[in-house]
Amino acid sequence: MSTTTETEIPLRQRVAENPQPALIWAAIGAVLIGAELGAILQVVGAVAGVVVNLIPGDPGASAVQSLQAAFDAIPTLISRDVIPNQGYWNGTGYENTFLGLSPAVAWAIRVAVVYAYAFAVLAWAWNGYKRFRRHYRRVDWTPRDDVVNRFRGHSWGKFGLIIVITFVVMAVFAPTLGPTTMEQNILQPYDYEVSYWSEDTQSVETVLVGEANLGSGSQGAGDENVAPLTYDDFGRFHPFGTATNGKDLFTQVVFGARISLTIAVVAMGIAGLIGLALAMITAYYKGLADLATVLVSDSIQALPVIMVLILMLVIFQNTWVRELYDGAVLIILIFSIVYWPFIWRSIRGPALQVSEQDWIDAAKSFGQTPTQVMRKHMAPYVFSYMLIYASLSLGGIIISVAGLSYLGLGITAPTPEWGRLIANGQQYVASPSWHISLVPGLLITLVVTGLNAFGDGIRDAIDPQADTGDEAAATGGGA
Amino acid sequence: MSTTSTEEERSTEARGDTILEVNDLKTYYEDGGFLGSNPVKAVDGVSFDIQRGETLGLVGESGCGKSTLGRTLMRLEEATAGEVKLNGTDITTLSGSDLKQFRKDVQMVFQDPDSSLNERMTVGEIVREPLDVHDWKTPSERRERVRELLETVGLQEQHYYRYPHQFSGGQRQRIGIARALALEPEFIILDEPVSALDVSVQAKILNLLEDLQNEFGLTYLFIAHDLAVVRHICDRVAVMYLGNMMEIGPADEMFDQPANPYTHALLSSIPEPDPTIERDRITLRGTPPSPRDPPAGCPFSTRCPVKIRPEAYRDMDPELWERIEVFREVLRERSRADPSLSDRVRKLLGRESHRAGMDEIIPELFGELDVPSSVMTHIREAADYAENDDEDAAQTYLHEEFGSVCDHERPDQLTVGNRGRLSLCHRHEPEYEEPAAVFETLVQ
Repeated sequence: MSTTTETEIPLRQRVAENPQPALIWAAIGAVLIGAELGAILQVVGAVAGVVVNLIPGDPGASAVQSLQAAFDAIPTLISRDVIPNQGYWNGTGYENTFLGLSPAVAWAIRVAVVYAYAFAVLAWAWNGYKRFRRHYRRVDWTPRDDVVNRFRGHSWGKFGLIIVITFVVMAVFAPTLGPTTMEQNILQPYDYEVSYWSEDTQSVETVLVGEANLGSGSQGAGDENVAPLTYDDFGRFHPFGTATNGKDLFTQVVFGARISLTIAVVAMGIAGLIGLALAMITAYYKGLADLATVLVSDSIQALPVIMVLILMLVIFQNTWVRELYDGAVLIILIFSIVYWPFIWRSIRGPALQVSEQDWIDAAKSFGQTPTQVMRKHMAPYVFSYMLIYASLSLGGIIISVAGLSYLGLGITAPTPEWGRLIANGQQYVASPSWHISLVPGLLITLVVTGLNAFGDGIRDAIDPQADTGDEAAATGGGA
Repeated sequence: MSTTSTEEERSTEARGDTILEVNDLKTYYEDGGFLGSNPVKAVDGVSFDIQRGETLGLVGESGCGKSTLGRTLMRLEEATAGEVKLNGTDITTLSGSDLKQFRKDVQMVFQDPDSSLNERMTVGEIVREPLDVHDWKTPSERRERVRELLETVGLQEQHYYRYPHQFSGGQRQRIGIARALALEPEFIILDEPVSALDVSVQAKILNLLEDLQNEFGLTYLFIAHDLAVVRHICDRVAVMYLGNMMEIGPADEMFDQPANPYTHALLSSIPEPDPTIERDRITLRGTPPSPRDPPAGCPFSTRCPVKIRPEAYRDMDPELWERIEVFREVLRERSRADPSLSDRVRKLLGRESHRAGMDEIIPELFGELDVPSSVMTHIREAADYAENDDEDAAQTYLHEEFGSVCDHERPDQLTVGNRGRLSLCHRHEPEYEEPAAVFETLVQ
């Protein structure tokens, strides 16, 4: 009866009996998370701030602010303070930079550390899954293992995953990655000063950031251009050069990634939930429920997405909804409403298919409730299809948001957005300041390609025999 | 169909302990049309009962409604009319907690072991789910029960944490059986439980089912199309055709001396293991009629080899009689087939329809036979109607002329023998010859 006792043991006890793999893993995790604990809490504070901001009247704003201040005080390994790059040349060497290195090198080191840390955390999480699988999991095989293994052998999908991770890390660590900060360089440039080495006076002088920006814009002419990977006249390093108004392009790009990702993920999450819930209901009850949903979704799908977006954004101009999160909330809502029919349509087939399986009848026959039948016996089979479609559609949303901002309708200035950057640099495309449009444009292309590759990878992993010619799921969709 | 004395006889007869009683059950599928639709009559007035502890076999060709009957008894389909009494309670109208209790008492084993188990759940979770649904004792007792059940059906305890994918068809069916047993039901519907399995595995599963029946005193409704399997496991057998119960009675008696013509034909289709034995098989002509539009009289009247002939044609050449029946079948098929679009256009334009072709069919059917002129007149008359695209009139005409009691009247279930056997056939009425006797003459 040894097998009996073995299968009875809860996870905690199984870990206790063979603690070594779990302990090693936990120790590494403690080091990794401890290094960034402050940052994690800061994120919590920031989210709380956003939530408070969303509620009309901003209740408890002061409490949140004091909380944020307390979190900010916690030192973290990867921060601007530990590896500073905003120093200046004092005639003999760099001051206030990391180990006295040049601002460019200091910044590069910080970026490298951020990415090293992010990939280390992911590797640690993956290692945890493998340890669990090897040492603690009760079953030695699950159908999901095959999916994971197939994805591991899918190079195109893995390429996509790496791009997606890079993009997500960019969004998550945006404040740390920029060579300067949003606050100093973009939002309040006249409240901050920078020190620089003046060739004329051969001494260190200070200047307001706003004034420095005016002198370092990229306007197309040879002497009015700060190209990628160069310093401007005030000793500031610009990895992607500057925008037309002299603001740092890299900082704008990383913060733009943040807002694009937020909009895409939240909108797709809401649309996915609506689509999945409706797919379950229509596949289970069929008949009238299905017909009604077909009518509603067809009506919505008949609308041209970009037209609806433009119309709605214009209609809600100057209303409080438009102000929330620089207009992102309204965009998220519109995208959720417009996108759920696509999700529902693409998973309706699989949902109907699984609803015909005998195990649904079996569950009904012993009295399982409809919600449980949908949750346990149908949703797991449909969820993966939804994931494929969602990852493929994310790219479409990112493009649409950029397109709206390009038209001046999306995210309100000064919050950076990739589409606005492209519009900003459009007239300098054929000049030395080509980087303003090209860099964000290339990034959008890369991210959308990455998301599509990732979606392809998931699809092949879930269903190796899947019909790859499925047009709706194969294209990035959207605008 | 509840008119004759046989019905009363059946109910008054003290026949042990009836667990399930089905009275004139009908299950129709509406096709969801907005206008007055013509439903599929999957189960069209079926009555029988099942005694506690017995195994009733339900056989019939595919599409005869046997699975629908099983699903209606399970409340997976809603009955259109009639009643199903489990231990005296009509279950067709149950709802709420009564329905939940019923769901505990009756379980089902499905045909396809690939499709009946959710492959994302472990075997333990699958077998445990009914217990969870009905809040059976404590979770640890449930786990204990699942392990017992796995052992009962011939699996091992360590299979608890495996997935259905890791098992063979036979083992999967054992898992399905364990799930059906979990709530200690009294009555289990076995919907072709072995037809998807290898022959070698079939025997093992059948033996398991018999052992379980003896151990737990279960009552089975065994739905199958494999007659050999039914003969092996069933106490009584019911034969279905086109939503009707053609014959029901003790298995041994039915297999040795089938009473109903359809049972005759069905049994003659059992392959004989000994190739040297010469046997005259009865091959039915045509296909079963559409369950949307069953024959007005006996459901089997369109294909019956021993159909009663009208008085006037009783001495007609059997060959010719059969050709007339085939002719009627052709007309039925033609009226069932929707005319193609081009046919409709032709008809609208007043041109000749391609479907006509009666001048080809008539010589084909009757050319080489010596047809009495009186008969030929009727055939020509019908052919004329058909030529003008009025198949219905042609059919009605032939029905009037060549139809018999089998075409006009629906037969009753009549008692055959003295062991409670019932058969749906006019030939059991005293004025006609018994089907078996007619078959004798046919085979010779």
